[in-house]
Amino acid sequence: MQRLPVAMALALLMSAAPVRAADTADTDALLLADQPASAPQRPQDWRLSVEAARMHGVMQGGGSPVETARLSFDLNYDGKVGPGLRAVLSDRLDLVHSNTSPREGDVNTLREAYLSWQYSAQEIFDVGRVNLRYGAASGYNPTDFFKAGAVRSIVSPAPASLRENRLGTVVVQGQKLWSESSLTAAFSPRLGSAPSTNASSLDFGATNPRHRWLLQGSHKFTESFNPQVLVFGGEGTPTQAGLNLTSLVNSATVAFLEFSTGRGQSLAAQALALPEAERWQHRTAFGFTTTTAFKLSLTAEAELNSAAPDRPQWDALGAAALPNPLRLLATAQSLQDLPVRKELFFYASWQDMLVQHLDLSAFVRGDLVTRSRAQWLETRYHWDRVDVAVQWQVYSGRAGSVYAAVPQRRGVQVVMRVFL
Amino acid sequence: MNMKTFLRSAAFAAWFAAASIAHGAPDAQAILAASDAVRNPDKPFGLVVTLIEYRNSKQTDANTLEVYSKADRAGGQYSSLIRFVAPKRDANKLMLKNGNDLWFFDPSSKASIRLSPQQRLLGQASNGDVVTVNLAKDYKAALAGEEDVADGERVTRHCYKLGLTELTPDVTYHHIEMWIEARSSRPVKARFYAESGRLLKSAYYRKFEPRLGVDRPTEVVIIDGLDPNWVTVMRYSDYAWRDVPDEWLQRDYLPRFKPE
Repeated sequence: MQRLPVAMALALLMSAAPVRAADTADTDALLLADQPASAPQRPQDWRLSVEAARMHGVMQGGGSPVETARLSFDLNYDGKVGPGLRAVLSDRLDLVHSNTSPREGDVNTLREAYLSWQYSAQEIFDVGRVNLRYGAASGYNPTDFFKAGAVRSIVSPAPASLRENRLGTVVVQGQKLWSESSLTAAFSPRLGSAPSTNASSLDFGATNPRHRWLLQGSHKFTESFNPQVLVFGGEGTPTQAGLNLTSLVNSATVAFLEFSTGRGQSLAAQALALPEAERWQHRTAFGFTTTTAFKLSLTAEAELNSAAPDRPQWDALGAAALPNPLRLLATAQSLQDLPVRKELFFYASWQDMLVQHLDLSAFVRGDLVTRSRAQWLETRYHWDRVDVAVQWQVYSGRAGSVYAAVPQRRGVQVVMRVFL
Repeated sequence: MNMKTFLRSAAFAAWFAAASIAHGAPDAQAILAASDAVRNPDKPFGLVVTLIEYRNSKQTDANTLEVYSKADRAGGQYSSLIRFVAPKRDANKLMLKNGNDLWFFDPSSKASIRLSPQQRLLGQASNGDVVTVNLAKDYKAALAGEEDVADGERVTRHCYKLGLTELTPDVTYHHIEMWIEARSSRPVKARFYAESGRLLKSAYYRKFEPRLGVDRPTEVVIIDGLDPNWVTVMRYSDYAWRDVPDEWLQRDYLPRFKPE
């Protein structure tokens, strides 16, 4: 009984002064909040942005610098056009002027154009070009089965940009939902035979070169265990299985695992059109993202691709013919596959770095096979409707290593985006 | 836990215990539940939330969110589907909040990303917890006394003062002080604390107007605990009953969610 008054006095001593200060601050804050309210903003079905960019690149071996100017128009529509019927359109036009040879041309990317019919709360059907994208990892997505050939115009090596600025696949798909589960079946028909370089092409040859299908299911076993399973296959496409898992490690950290397996040719055989038998290939990305109290998120990811060359294979590739490493990198870029057997990927994102509205993003890809690196860093300041960003990219490594084979060694790009 | 934290926690607990013994009668948990019912409709609903942020008396940010919420049948806690309306760079981004099961979907990159509670706290959406949460499900309430306090519109209200302590360790705030008007069960103000005893934010619930059959707060003024010059005003509009099937409250529905 003796302790209670002591504790109460202690509480009063500790709380009295801050409470008085808080009351004054509270009054000031309430006066500020008394300002007349403007009407809440309404959602809009249309979104349009314009982006202007200027890039300066330095080539391997001291060749002429690359100068590129770009103006991009980004249009999105997502609206209801009838009872349960939704229309989605997403298109990007890149007008490019550069001094490269061959000269980079203008490119239109019709990312999505589809109709979605919500037959009931549990059943939904889509038809048209849909960007079907899966994957729990950040830097490499083995279960993103429709990524091959989807990027027409690379405006940044950042994974988020590569995911965003790409062609969807023409599909007919249906989704069935239960309270804790979902099942999706998609069929992607053959609509073309080869990718097109025509600026205004819909490029069905890139996105729908064969009949293919995808089944995707997920079930929420517990709040923290909600695996996603995928099976993908089709004409001339050996069946592939994929798995995505994520878990909350603690209040600041999420761990993830992404895995796919199936028969296929090695990356070198695909790049050089070698007559190689298909073998079991495994692709994996796993890691974690942790976030600090000062708005810095860090991702560390290990990436493995059994179809990519190991060290002796990579050395043999370069020794056989000098363009071979470049052809392999070009094939990996087109397929959006990992060009090396093992890699570490680190990504950092820092919101409101030092001052409000200034964000920093950066990644490092560390090739563990030939010890080369790809690095990218962006600082971005945003106002209400305008973003201004400066981006740097550097490929480094000794001669004969993977990322040292990239023709452009360094680049700096200034970007301004206006949201209309 | 360091000595300073221990002393603060002990003092806080003793203070509430003493106050509860002194007053006895009203059921603190029932008072809190009644206050929850004032803030949260008892059926699935939707609303538009506008957040205006001020620093040093100047507006520095503004966001608009569309929220669909539904109380979980088993636990009673709210699950929410949130669509960003403004600013334009964030338009149509989505978030699913199902307890600590948090997912973010960006329609541009088609990425469904699991978020940690800490990541969610980076955004203004964390302030949504001040309203669309059933505190009586996550906190144990103790009556700390009755006080006449000035509400958010500087009108004196006779209130129950409650001390809330967390029932599970995964809630956002370790403990909360809350003032609830005795006559109407309206929440008047609250102070939210970290485990260390640090004041994280204060909130004033104000401008009560009839919404979905009950007088509910249409504005909450939030004052940062560390920097009192950082003020966020949350305005609630467009309350409506909404059908929110259980099937929608999962990651694979996020790309489909399109509010009315």
